[in-house]
Amino acid sequence: MYSNAINLLAILILISSFILIANKRQNAYISTFRFQSLLLALVSLLVSVRSMLSNKKFDEVIIIFCLIVLFKVVIIPIVLKRTSKKVEYTVEKDFFINIPVSMLICCGLVVLCWHVIYSIEGINNSDTRNYLIYSMSVVMLGLFFMISRKKAIGQIVGFLVIENGMFLAAMLTTEGMPMFVELGLFFDLLTAVLIMGIFVFKINDTFDSIDINKLKNLKG
Amino acid sequence: MIVSVLKLLVQIMLILIIAPFFTGVIKKLKSKFQHKIGLSVFQPYYNLIKLCKKDLVVSSVTSWIYNVAPYIYFMTSLFAVLCLPVVHQLIGPAYFTDLLVIVYLLVAGRIFMALAGLDTGSAFGGMGSSREMLVSALVEPALFVIIITVSSRTGIASTNVSSIYEYTLSHTEAAFSPINLLLFASMLMILIAESSRIPVDDPSTHLELTMVHEAMVLEYSGRHLAFIEMGTHIKQLVFMTFMANILIPIGFNIENIFIGLGIYILKILAITVLVALVEINTVKLRLYSIPNFAAIAFIISVLGFLTCFILK
Repeated sequence: MYSNAINLLAILILISSFILIANKRQNAYISTFRFQSLLLALVSLLVSVRSMLSNKKFDEVIIIFCLIVLFKVVIIPIVLKRTSKKVEYTVEKDFFINIPVSMLICCGLVVLCWHVIYSIEGINNSDTRNYLIYSMSVVMLGLFFMISRKKAIGQIVGFLVIENGMFLAAMLTTEGMPMFVELGLFFDLLTAVLIMGIFVFKINDTFDSIDINKLKNLKG
Repeated sequence: MIVSVLKLLVQIMLILIIAPFFTGVIKKLKSKFQHKIGLSVFQPYYNLIKLCKKDLVVSSVTSWIYNVAPYIYFMTSLFAVLCLPVVHQLIGPAYFTDLLVIVYLLVAGRIFMALAGLDTGSAFGGMGSSREMLVSALVEPALFVIIITVSSRTGIASTNVSSIYEYTLSHTEAAFSPINLLLFASMLMILIAESSRIPVDDPSTHLELTMVHEAMVLEYSGRHLAFIEMGTHIKQLVFMTFMANILIPIGFNIENIFIGLGIYILKILAITVLVALVEINTVKLRLYSIPNFAAIAFIISVLGFLTCFILK
């Protein structure tokens, strides 16, 4: 039952990254990221409740659950929404690769992850292997999302999705990392997003657009 | 032998009686969600009776295809749903059928409808036919991946309906596994595309540039149109039956046939609620966005297929 639920949540996280790749609007990127973070929070809640029930003592992972809800579901999406409101783009019109083809490429990436992780010897627990496959695929999809979007907001969301994937891998294979590592990661992430948001403003000011292709132009 | 024939007759009667009801339920739910009173759930039956009473108007330039297409469409849909028994006690006559046969029976009906749309020579008919075949071709890969997944689970990798039903009977708890949920989501999207429902096509519009299925059957009237509408109701039921019996097999292994039928109808009603919810929450897609829709359905089914091997 437990492993079924975790498997389901991990697959839903993977599907939410597919939905992200099919999206065209900046607000939709941010809502999808919020949804994905909510699923991630649910995973950490399940992990912590299970370990609390089996060990009969307090588990730190529940604090991580609260932190995910606070940072990734509330603060970061609000910061991103504010950033995207101030720059005028709402719809991405031109992609490097159109959506059906990029969906197929992503499908290939999932198969690749599956193949690579199956060929690693020494992973004996089949559940751990599944979780690794899902979370590695989320990381790969985040990378692909970053390179397939031209607008800077898309790149920030891609970065956050990569981080979500790594977090999922850490959470599911180790049943929660030490508290200090997690705290450090969260503050790192928050400052990264704030700095990137400021960068987006600056790029928008200087080039009148957040299209990263325009960064190649010379500016006197 | 007599028992087999009897089972077949029971199944035919059942399908003909219940198929229009679910279309009526979807329409009623849609109106309820929009705070309207809405038509009665039995309105599709009244429509069919009214159409049967009316005269036929047949253009003088059409060939024989125009006259036989409605009957072929109706019969192929009916045969397809006969291949997929509604409860497992009625499986007798379906022993030799195959899921691939069901897919191609539906495609055969669709091809005749497309030809009939071209036959009248009107601009709308041709446009509708071309769009209908496009949608059909786009969702077919997803459908095939679902069929392959469902059949590869059985152990003997057979697409035979009876072996899949036997596997489902002994694994009714699989309804809550991630594989089934993924396949269910993909199948819901295929159902929406194949039964011409809102994100892909709007069944209630006659606006020139947006209609797909309606444009194809624009020239039909009277008895012919009644057969086409009945065929559409039945085709919708084929996909719903697949979802209810194979993908969410809760209560599928109950021995009493009447309780089994009751549970089947409840499950179909649950699916119609889902379809109605999708219809009121989305707008019709542009024709050029339909490949994206189909791509998502395909990806979800491929993920289900991969999960089937990962979770082994």
